[in-house]
Amino acid sequence: MKNLRLSMKGRRAVSGYLFIMPFIIGFVVFMAAPLIMSLQMSFSEVIVSKNGFIFNSYFGLSDGQTLGGIYAAGGFSAVFKAIPDLLGLDNYVHALTVDPTFNQLLIEEITKIATHTIAILVVAFVIALLLNQEFKGRAFVRAIFFLPVILSSGVLVNLETDNTLMQGMQELISEQTPFTVTDSMMEILRLTGLGGDLLDIVFELIAEVYDIVMGAGIQIVVFLSGLQNVPASLYEAADVEGCTKWEAFWMITFPMVSPLLIVNIIYTIIDFFTKMGGDLTDLLDEKLLNFRYDHMSAMSWIYFLVTLAMIGICALIISKVVATDE
Amino acid sequence: MTTVKHYKGPVRADGTPIELPKKVLRLQQTAKAKNKKPNRSRLGDFLIYSLLALVACAMAFPLVFAICSSLKPLDELFRFPPTLFPRQPTFDNFSDLLVTMGQSWVPFSRYISNTVFITVIGTFGNVIIGSLAAYVLAKYNFPLGKPFFNLVVTALMFNGYVTAIPNYLLMTKINIVDTYWAIVLPAVAAPMGMFLMKQFMEGLPMALIESAKIDGAKEMRIFWQIVMPNVKPAWLTMIIFSVQSLWNAKASTVIYSEAKKTLVYALQQIQAGGIARTGQAAAVTVVVMLVPIATFVLSQSQILETMATSGLKD
Repeated sequence: MKNLRLSMKGRRAVSGYLFIMPFIIGFVVFMAAPLIMSLQMSFSEVIVSKNGFIFNSYFGLSDGQTLGGIYAAGGFSAVFKAIPDLLGLDNYVHALTVDPTFNQLLIEEITKIATHTIAILVVAFVIALLLNQEFKGRAFVRAIFFLPVILSSGVLVNLETDNTLMQGMQELISEQTPFTVTDSMMEILRLTGLGGDLLDIVFELIAEVYDIVMGAGIQIVVFLSGLQNVPASLYEAADVEGCTKWEAFWMITFPMVSPLLIVNIIYTIIDFFTKMGGDLTDLLDEKLLNFRYDHMSAMSWIYFLVTLAMIGICALIISKVVATDE
Repeated sequence: MTTVKHYKGPVRADGTPIELPKKVLRLQQTAKAKNKKPNRSRLGDFLIYSLLALVACAMAFPLVFAICSSLKPLDELFRFPPTLFPRQPTFDNFSDLLVTMGQSWVPFSRYISNTVFITVIGTFGNVIIGSLAAYVLAKYNFPLGKPFFNLVVTALMFNGYVTAIPNYLLMTKINIVDTYWAIVLPAVAAPMGMFLMKQFMEGLPMALIESAKIDGAKEMRIFWQIVMPNVKPAWLTMIIFSVQSLWNAKASTVIYSEAKKTLVYALQQIQAGGIARTGQAAAVTVVVMLVPIATFVLSQSQILETMATSGLKD
């Protein structure tokens, strides 16, 4: 009896490993290994020669040793040359102190990520709440709200950079969407004497709405799925106990959906981070074209560390909030 | 006999009301007061729907514009000031596009089959491998499972720049540059879907899996017949993401042979033909959008409506 149980346990463990192995292999090969190599690049002086890459590195590996043999291939090889008097942090120092634009772009990007993440989460949550209500044509409206996901991550963004039509369309969008409406409204309000600095701030926020809404598609769907996973019996029980809708929202809806908050925060930040076309990505592109892979890697890693810190702070705050609700 | 107007509470056989304790009566009254008060006012409703309508317009605008542009004859495309809706809708742009397609060096069907192959295999692999791993991480006490998952989440936060060069070196090493696998394999290993699946599977009641185990189901069977049907919304979402990114893959850095290029790449070549092809370019935009939108439309009702069914009552 005891033997049988053990063997069953063993078999289950084996199937567990079989289930997860393909993913682990894929992850290590296409994600972990490249990341490690990029980290090594950031600590080295990368020279692209006709025989392949040469990593002049302060760290570890002895002269001429290839990187685990993995990367030495075909016309390309990565050879390490240990140069002890090369400071390992050179690329990082360069990025933060020498490069004229990196600091500024980094700070700009981070403030943009922070404000947009908060705004997107709030907008997505409110819209998900509204879309979760019963009303006519709900499926159609939901489909519309998912459109940005298809449009923004797909063709339109790829196309709009190298296409006259898309440029025209971009201009047209900025001409025809609420921006002009806000501008003209602003004029009217100014003329009637209601204008002022406060109005300017409000309208600036409104002008951002388009970006925020277009960036909120996935987040809406994730929140919506979370909302639909809240058992109706909970609300019924709360109703029987004399709970108001407002209380039910904070005591049931919010705690039940809050695990998805962190999913959405991570998704939003990644979305920003990986989106092409920002000033920072332009800088990285320039480094890429000039074969400064070492500088590029160091900058990417700084950016990553900052993002990680931001997500960490968010996660900490949210875990506190969730914990107090329980 | 005291009859109370509108009294609907418990009564004795003779019709007199049973007097409830005062506390209960008070509670009933407050409950009624709360119920009577409408939760949403007319004005609130109006504001909510006008907000939704406004946001929906902003979201739908690019799509509407792209479709309208593709239906405009060339002279209308360059009209200033530009108009949104075509005055004389025509399918000329699409027929022009077909003509250009027919003149391509490699038969155009080749590009289509390339992209279809890449999309189908990549999506299939990504969903299966990601779900299997997510299942183990969500429902097993896998040794080092938690640190591994954290590592995956961390890896999600890197952008393409970090891994671009190393990935290329790696692909040359395992000799998959200039094959379909250079697009398919990284897509299969993409961790985003696994992350989503794991989050969904955590919500799956353990009792469901345990009862299947007690009934003697093997792991594979539990996975296919219990777990996967219950997280259908999750893998449908995964399919949407995956189809979208693979369908739009240009992959011009890892594929050189003309015969292996993707549809989007070929269509972009047509688009790049300059001012004279503006109309065709508009048509291209619509053609390329069709598949992701179709995938979404086909699965959206599933995703959005059936998320609640978990198969068990708590």
